[in-house]
Amino acid sequence: MIEHIIVRNVLHRPVRTLITVIAVAVEVMLVITVVGLTTGLLTESAKRVEGVGADIMVQPPSASIFMAFSGAPMPIQIGQKLQSLPYVQAVAPVLLQFNSVNGLDIVYGIDPPSFRAVSGGFVFHEGRDLRDPDDILVDDVYAKAKNVHVGQTLHILEHDFHIVGIVEHGKGARLFVLMPTLQEMSGAHDKASVFYVKCDRSDHTPAVIDEIQELLPRYEVRPLKDFISLMTSSNLPGLGAFINVMISIAVAIGFLVIFLSMYTTVIERTREIGVLKSLGASKAYIVQIVLSETTLLCLLGLVSGIVLSFVMRALLLRLFPSLTILIGPTWILRAGVIAILGGLLGAAYPAWLASRRDPVEALAYE
Amino acid sequence: MSNATTINPFATQHSLVREPALEPILKTENLWKVYRTGKLDVPALRGVNMEVSPGAFVSIMGPSGCGKSTMLHIIGGLAQATRGRVLLDGNDLTTMSDSARTLLRRHKVGFVFQKFNLLPTLDARHNIALAQHIHGDGFDPHRFEVVVRLLGLGERLDHKPSELSGGEQQRVAIARAIITEPKILLADEPTGNLDSASSENVLNMLRQLNQQFGQTIVMITHNPEAAAYGDRVIHMRDGQIVDAIGNS
Repeated sequence: MIEHIIVRNVLHRPVRTLITVIAVAVEVMLVITVVGLTTGLLTESAKRVEGVGADIMVQPPSASIFMAFSGAPMPIQIGQKLQSLPYVQAVAPVLLQFNSVNGLDIVYGIDPPSFRAVSGGFVFHEGRDLRDPDDILVDDVYAKAKNVHVGQTLHILEHDFHIVGIVEHGKGARLFVLMPTLQEMSGAHDKASVFYVKCDRSDHTPAVIDEIQELLPRYEVRPLKDFISLMTSSNLPGLGAFINVMISIAVAIGFLVIFLSMYTTVIERTREIGVLKSLGASKAYIVQIVLSETTLLCLLGLVSGIVLSFVMRALLLRLFPSLTILIGPTWILRAGVIAILGGLLGAAYPAWLASRRDPVEALAYE
Repeated sequence: MSNATTINPFATQHSLVREPALEPILKTENLWKVYRTGKLDVPALRGVNMEVSPGAFVSIMGPSGCGKSTMLHIIGGLAQATRGRVLLDGNDLTTMSDSARTLLRRHKVGFVFQKFNLLPTLDARHNIALAQHIHGDGFDPHRFEVVVRLLGLGERLDHKPSELSGGEQQRVAIARAIITEPKILLADEPTGNLDSASSENVLNMLRQLNQQFGQTIVMITHNPEAAAYGDRVIHMRDGQIVDAIGNS
């Protein structure tokens, strides 16, 4: 019976219902998309680093695993020392530069022979390898997203580069230039941001790590095998807080809309509440009606929000093909719990207000 | 009319009960209700003493503001008295908590209002079934059928209140009020919003409920013709009973 009352109530005011459902859907979509976007970026970035093919990554002391946030304070000569260690097959120094023109990208300054030795070399879709100071390689995802081709000029880092090749994605970055060029541009002469180390056999990795730690105490030495598991929002300063802020905003939207919606509903139905009370409905019964209606609205909003999230992802990927947005069941579930709890919280006061109505006054309400 | 016995209205075979009416179903003793407006106390009821026997049909008449609606609310457990006692089926309402009075309304009282007060989103069927649901016994199709047939609502059950005439709405409201077999039916100006034909129809229904099924009814009205359907007419003025005509 309560189900029937709730459904009829929801259908009785279709515009109010629609707006409430949309608000909850936006709340759910915001949570799912923000988390999906950050998780996608981190995972995709980690996969690319793993895709370099190295076994070990060496960074300066206290460097973040999020390399875009690290500087370039390591002398390039460290590479020679690393190369001389037992079981080390190849070492590739890389200088990183963060590019924020036309999007956010990391540019790798590489030494082609050593990078090839560690990574096994690029798979070229078009063009050739780096040769001249103004040459740049872009990966296929970047080329598709920006609609660029071999032979075109790419203006990044206040510099005009000449696109000489389009390579398969997954080798650390989307943009590659010669290391001396990037060192010159960033004033980091003879410096590198990271050294990728390739061991002769992967089971020698722990031994090589021990050797490097002995050689370079306090330096960050990480096996790349577990890199993806380290790339979480909790390891990036501020990202966790950012996600929490976004979720809080989403919850606030849901809370306020549900509060307003159920508050006006309760006021509008004052007389009906009086009727229910005259029939002997308890306070709990009236609270149950209000909260059940809220739950139904939240569930409708949740389903719409999930659909909207996938639509938003498709839209974003169409606009920004280089993005990765991961929508997983964990955060869909969490978004649902957040939406329903936020909604119930928003409906709590209106429900309490309804249950406390004086029946005589409620019956006299016009 | 004052029945010496009570017949359980619309009794099913197993619940048909006849028992001697030894005690009044409703009794008020020195009942006071005082409203405070600002610093002023305004008495709405001033020491009302009244008894209603089981199976009686009592009409309460009086001018606007004489306290008759207030009394109906108090004897129905919707409002608390300021002073005095109200005994309904042996329960003293004046000492009961809000939740206890809610339970009492659920199990012993049926209300019919001037403005029908049906839930606008529900059709007639669900408006009636709602009372059964709140009562807690679940949907009883047999009783539902009997009540619907008695009030002639069979063809109108799937219609919402906005699709029903005033008379039909009031019949749905009566059905809702009696579906849970209340000890007492309290009607607050049940014909106040009806034309004369519908009024007569509704009043005949109430009389039928009382005479055929022994339903105790207390009806408030300011229409003498409507009041005459009761077997006792109580006149109120200024919060007091000033006259009572008919069998007690």
